[in-house]
Amino acid sequence: MKDKVLRKLNILADAAKYDVSCSSSGSSRASKGGLGNAKSAGICHSFTEDGRCISLLKILYTNHCIYDCAYCVNRRSNDRPRATFTPAELAELTVSFYRRNFIEGLFLSSGVLRNPDYTMEQLNTVVRKLRNEHRFNGYVHMKSIPGADPLLVREAGLLADRLSVNIEIPSELQLKRLAPEKDFASVYDPMNLISREMLASKEERRKYRNAPRFVPAGQSTQLIVGASPDKDYSILKLASGFYDEQKIKRVYYSGFMPVNEYDNRLPVLTAPPLRRENRLYQADWLMRFYHFRYDEILDEQHPDLEPSIDPKLAYALRNPHLYPVDLNKATHEEILRVPGIGVRSAKIIVANRRFGKITMTHLKRMGVALNRAKYFILCGELLTGTKTLYPEQIRRRLAGKKDMAGKQLSLFEAAGTDLNQDKPSSLING
Amino acid sequence: MFKQERIYTYDGSLDGLFCVVFRAFEDKVSPSAIIPRKAGYQVPLGEILPVDTVSSNAQRVWKKIIDRSDQKNARKISVAFLSERPETDMLLWRYLNKLFTHPYGDYYKNMLDEDVYEITQTARRVRMEVHRFQGFVRFQRTRDDIYAAAIDPDNDIVQLLAPHFKGRFSDRRWLIYDTRRKYGIFYDMQQISIVALDDDSFSLTSGNIRQNARAVDEDYYRTLWQHYYDAINIKERKNDRQMRSFMPVRYWKYLPEKDR
Ligand code: SF4
Repeated sequence: MKDKVLRKLNILADAAKYDVSCSSSGSSRASKGGLGNAKSAGICHSFTEDGRCISLLKILYTNHCIYDCAYCVNRRSNDRPRATFTPAELAELTVSFYRRNFIEGLFLSSGVLRNPDYTMEQLNTVVRKLRNEHRFNGYVHMKSIPGADPLLVREAGLLADRLSVNIEIPSELQLKRLAPEKDFASVYDPMNLISREMLASKEERRKYRNAPRFVPAGQSTQLIVGASPDKDYSILKLASGFYDEQKIKRVYYSGFMPVNEYDNRLPVLTAPPLRRENRLYQADWLMRFYHFRYDEILDEQHPDLEPSIDPKLAYALRNPHLYPVDLNKATHEEILRVPGIGVRSAKIIVANRRFGKITMTHLKRMGVALNRAKYFILCGELLTGTKTLYPEQIRRRLAGKKDMAGKQLSLFEAAGTDLNQDKPSSLING
Repeated sequence: MFKQERIYTYDGSLDGLFCVVFRAFEDKVSPSAIIPRKAGYQVPLGEILPVDTVSSNAQRVWKKIIDRSDQKNARKISVAFLSERPETDMLLWRYLNKLFTHPYGDYYKNMLDEDVYEITQTARRVRMEVHRFQGFVRFQRTRDDIYAAAIDPDNDIVQLLAPHFKGRFSDRRWLIYDTRRKYGIFYDMQQISIVALDDDSFSLTSGNIRQNARAVDEDYYRTLWQHYYDAINIKERKNDRQMRSFMPVRYWKYLPEKDR
């Protein structure tokens, strides 16, 4: 019995690892006398060798699947070891890990077994067991199975802290080519259902304090970068739409892992496009915390993020007329747009100007990346030399240099880092 | 205002440090060093004054901090005090001196001041370690159903972990023990108390409790967790540097997934 669970764990954790959206922030759930609670700042319990935060037990209920999506290791035409948990096994595994403080909760996804409704019902059973039998109040993120009955999705939303529906492929044309059983409707319908239910539940709770909460940590989605020829511009446009319209909390970008090489619908890659993935996260960060619109970051003429410089720097170089920014006078919004200045530093600068002039010493102490910022600011006595440098010269000096933005970003991605995922100014997670 | 210089020693507690501050103000002396009288402490040459901890004096300093700033700031000071970075005591002295003597009412908010900024950063670093350890604590079940964990953090944070773990595991008894500072917190399903244990309660290399005290299933769950850790890794994305920066090597010894 123990060996059986160990074998399933090996297979079904391995099969789940490509889903990157494993964070645990944004929910708070009190303990109510049972086991556990959910914290609004996500907690990382460990870090994998690939540098990612382990917060949740990320696992599939089954890796059997009736579908055959080109980009997926679990597609039915692959010959690989398959396994399926029982709901009781999975609930017990989760609780035993949680009690030892290995994890923050469960991230439950699955291949499609028999049919979508049956699969969704199995996932709901696992979480129902956790909530009712084990009185588990920890964090639960569930995948909404494409094509499942709205009633089942609704039940999942009442059980889980977060639901996600992965779009995977950023355009419908490409999605249909790579996953013939799916289309945009199969993604957008459940997403819209979830955002409607969230709204309704908020409304209800305003009237009755004890009305049930529907996915208190909101919904997220993931898309695969580099499995299809879609441009960064259309990816950011899509993501921006998710944030605005479906009120999605997080969009995750996953560099395509070269799998299923035999399938000639897929591009030939030797390694996952990690650099591009990182640039997309930076651009996403700019939209969520620096108030950039997607069409300020890229446009039809510049449809791809530059690999050698971060997107904020690229924006500044394309818009030299907006700089230099006088840190002692400029608005918070203007300061946020200076390359090398983060959300926290911008806030400190604006809040403390009443005490005196901001100087380079202060910036250094705050951890501003002066190697980049210096070309774009006026600061006290210091005129930093933008007048004599043209954007092309700055670009040449900075291109390819390790940028702090990347570092900061991964910091927050992790700590929880996402310490506090939705407020980058608060300390992480460091 | 301060003419002479003097070395102060205190008992290592926050109240003790406040008494140094109280005393320095009374004496109109600016400390040249402040040194906790902990095991093996060393004092540089100079005029030395050992300060006793008198709780009414500490209270007066505490009250003054709240008068000159607010509760939140007072809390920040007490968190910064737990930092074990060198020079933290002197930093606290300089900061409190400014707080008490500066004419502006809200000088404590002035992040352009080096000491104000440093205190804020120091408290932030301590809180960051608390946040990290909310994740890095690893419980093992004992035969009598206590969940026990060993930790060895950089700063003296074990007490700051209490509210988090009490909120999360209120239905079991648990213990979190700092093996370097040799004390811990124990929750008995009613309240939390400070405890000291025999030195051999935890292995100092693995953080494990003694084999005969471990519940029978413990090794199995440890194995499951190690397998999970390996299975979830994506080899093609190996990024050792990033992993180590989030989870520094000095924290590995008590983590079953890293200590192998
Ligand atoms: S439905 Fe999901 S599990 Fe099944 S093949 Fe497609 S992506 Fe993979």
